[in-house]
Amino acid sequence: MLRWLALAAALLPASLGAYPEYHAFVVKNSGRPINCALCHRHADGPDGAAPGQLGRLTSEAQERLGRARSAFEPGVKVDSPILNAFGNHMVQVLGRKQLMELKMAPEQLAERLPADSDLDGDGIPDVRELRDGTHPLNRNDGHPWLLFRHNLMRNLTQIALTLAATAAGLWGLSHWLRGFAAATQIKDEEEESESA
Amino acid sequence: MMDAFLFVGLPYLSLLIFVVGCLWRARREKFTLTARSSQFLEDRQLLFGSTPWHIGIGIVLLGHLIAVLFPKVWASLLTVPGALLAVETVGVACSLLAVAGLSVLLVRRLTSGRVQAVTTPADLIVAGLLLVQVVVGLLSAIHYRYGSAWSTGTVVPYFWGLIKLQPDMSYVTGFPPLFKLHLTLAWVMVLLVPFTRLIHLLALPLQYLWRAPIWVVWNNARRRREAAVAMARAESRREFLKGAVGVAGAGGLLALGVMEKGVSYFRGPRLEPEMEAELLTKKLQRLQQTAEERELELERQRNPMILVARYSELTENKGKYFIDYSMAPALAFKGKDGLPLLISAKCTHLGCTVGSEVDAQGRILCPCHVSYFDLRTGRPNEGAPAKAPLPHLGWALVDASGKVVARKSPRGPVEGDVDPAALAQCSVYIIKPQASAT
Amino acid sequence: MNLLAFIQRAETYLGERLPVRKLNYDALVRKKEVPVHRLSWGYYLGGLALFFFAVQVVTGLMLLFYYQPTVSDAHASVEFITEHVPGGALVRNMHAWASSMMIAAVMVHLLTTFAMKAFARPRELTWVSGVLLLFITLGLGFTGYLLPWHQIAVNATKIGLQSIEEVGAYLPGALAEWPRLVKETIQGEASVGQATLSRFFALHVVLLPLAMVAVLALHLFSVQLHGMSQGVDEPPRRKEKFFPAFFIKDLSVWGVAFMVLFVVALCVPFESFYAYPLFEPYDPKSSTPDGIKPEWYFYFIYYPLEILPFWVVLLLSLAAGVGLCCTPWIFRHTSRRTLRLLAVLGALYLVIMTLFGEHIYRLFKG
Repeated sequence: MLRWLALAAALLPASLGAYPEYHAFVVKNSGRPINCALCHRHADGPDGAAPGQLGRLTSEAQERLGRARSAFEPGVKVDSPILNAFGNHMVQVLGRKQLMELKMAPEQLAERLPADSDLDGDGIPDVRELRDGTHPLNRNDGHPWLLFRHNLMRNLTQIALTLAATAAGLWGLSHWLRGFAAATQIKDEEEESESA
Repeated sequence: MMDAFLFVGLPYLSLLIFVVGCLWRARREKFTLTARSSQFLEDRQLLFGSTPWHIGIGIVLLGHLIAVLFPKVWASLLTVPGALLAVETVGVACSLLAVAGLSVLLVRRLTSGRVQAVTTPADLIVAGLLLVQVVVGLLSAIHYRYGSAWSTGTVVPYFWGLIKLQPDMSYVTGFPPLFKLHLTLAWVMVLLVPFTRLIHLLALPLQYLWRAPIWVVWNNARRRREAAVAMARAESRREFLKGAVGVAGAGGLLALGVMEKGVSYFRGPRLEPEMEAELLTKKLQRLQQTAEERELELERQRNPMILVARYSELTENKGKYFIDYSMAPALAFKGKDGLPLLISAKCTHLGCTVGSEVDAQGRILCPCHVSYFDLRTGRPNEGAPAKAPLPHLGWALVDASGKVVARKSPRGPVEGDVDPAALAQCSVYIIKPQASAT
Repeated sequence: MNLLAFIQRAETYLGERLPVRKLNYDALVRKKEVPVHRLSWGYYLGGLALFFFAVQVVTGLMLLFYYQPTVSDAHASVEFITEHVPGGALVRNMHAWASSMMIAAVMVHLLTTFAMKAFARPRELTWVSGVLLLFITLGLGFTGYLLPWHQIAVNATKIGLQSIEEVGAYLPGALAEWPRLVKETIQGEASVGQATLSRFFALHVVLLPLAMVAVLALHLFSVQLHGMSQGVDEPPRRKEKFFPAFFIKDLSVWGVAFMVLFVVALCVPFESFYAYPLFEPYDPKSSTPDGIKPEWYFYFIYYPLEILPFWVVLLLSLAAGVGLCCTPWIFRHTSRRTLRLLAVLGALYLVIMTLFGEHIYRLFKG
């Protein structure tokens, strides 16, 4: 973890033009390496010419970006071409003004977001995923124990059936064992009585 | 008027007679609370008659009973995909089994002398009624499909209305005649219970299912020994049977699960056109990326010089990744002296790609095993896993007209004139190693 | 004359190790017995590993229906399996979890057979084939790691292969170049790329499994021929028939193993133990992401590599490898008590390195 922290400190200033405070907060809080793909379309953030970065926007996308940038108040539905669904979600519920203010106190970001929103439907609220440094849009990424609990509940029928199958199988096999034991005993007794 | 009698009057009449009659019979003739012997002395016809009949009708009645007692649970169970079909199939199969068994029983009752001797007219009436009832039920199940689902909203509330003394026959008056017949016959059966062999419904010999077999043995040593062996044999047979049931159940469930998962897995996803298009786009992007990488390789084989970046794109604190002539990653910076600074980004320890950010001490970091390389000398820090320095690469500066203004081999000095004012117009190239040597 | 004597000696040697005269129904099925004592649980581990191998074969074949082994498509096809194919996530997750469970079973199997001195004469060949199987299993783990072609896969493979090249620094003269040549031969080109992927794919899907089946046949065959090793010093008071008694118990163990595997694979994505940037497609033009590590079953050699000088680890692992292969001859006269102690020490080392390797690493490197 220390290694990652040192790294994060080393990597931060240049690469994360957009929101380095949040990045630093998540890394520090979770002890996990993360990158800009937590909120942005591209893993290297918005600067560059790859798909999902500022250097490769169509005029239609530019327009969407403009609309997203002017969403200062919460509640405006945004679809920024450089943000992923989680990034857009944050802009929508907090508004850009609050997001910028929160830069000074990134630990409050998780508290301001709605506690019940779960964009990837993996049973872990986005807020918790933000604190854990796991991806809020990836069903397979999350605290293993929480994922286990959620999936256990979700697949209860299948698991119950598997348990039933295993129990039936074990029960049957144990009776077979007893059956074989009894059969061997009979054979032994018969042989004994024959020899006697 | 007819409906009122059949669906309100008859039920109450039947129920009243059923309760009173059973109580009366239980008090007066306690030991007749069963069916009369059906002459166990032969076992063939009885096996193929009695067993299928009782299994079939038992399962069908159980289905009726569960639907009536727990309509909500039953209805929610049927919403599982395939469950409705499975329930209907099982129902029809069991009815067929029951009809077949009952037919065998009827034939036997009519033809066997032994059975004839203990047959009363009431037995024949009951048997005939049962046959008609099951056939009518079967027909209505086939004609008016999915009764197991729709009955929870019609027959069940009607039934509970009767029980709660708030009869509401509007549920059933609209039924087709076949189904009305089924209902009416059911109430008639209830009425007949106290007076016929149907009374054995109340004396289910459930303990037979798990009771150990009883052995009747002549009392002498040889017979006793034989009996012990036979007993053990039967015991082991019972164990094998139980085992087979358990293993077959497990195997069945497992096969079902594997079938369900396996078939849909091999069938593959049926994607929406948009999704399909999105996936294809992504695939194409990756292909283009790969093609670009391949082109890089070709370019490196063919060209003596390769463009790294425009000079204006270079910065002092964040390198620009490019691929050098050995197809390994490298970084391009602007040096402190204002000239390009090209350095290999392949860590000399285990070949990880070194990060592109320069820290406050002018070093770049390999994240794998934490080696800091000094950008100016290429040397790793003291105690780093990497021992050898990162090699610098040679470069050439080319101006807008395509003329080489200046060049530097990896270890040599800068050759040529560099005019700081003209630098902004220049581009940085790397030079093929052999080419620079000659 | 001398040659004849040698051939005769070899014949008696092999005759004792592979007693083919026992190759009949009576010896294999009717007579074979398993001792019952307090270490009997060890007898189930080989079967357990076999079961997980079977799971690997089945799920692996299923994955082959959708996986595409090219640099441009590999990652996308794996993503397609997890995201879109019905049950695909389950199949892939089962493959991942079962591989870990198989390796765990194999490791414990090795330790218990060692502790029970199951390698003693005439079972030397069984042991050696088992060690071979261990190497093949680890090879399968290493090659399979690359196939999804994400950041962790390619970068970890790069590091793993580069370690081979490191050996060169400790070899004299012309030999020094050899490890690099070996590395490039395995890699197929100058750096990890399409050629490597193709090779690893062929190794993982065809060559290694075939080798596994062949060696496994020999292994199982000799286990059947010799019967179960006694395992303890005092003669066991009770024995049970291999067929059906032990076989049925084996089946029960497999049933439980399958249930555990199914529930775990259904509920815990194997990837959830790593940070998500590692699962983005490999990008040759970016820095290696942090947190690159091999799978947990290589920790026992990975953390020493990180902490100790390379040549120490090299020597130690060479010694361990040779020691493993020659165990039947080295420990021929060692008592079971000593062997048990050694096995416990080995187990302790593996457990500590796997669970606390990271902490120990930090202790040393600050």
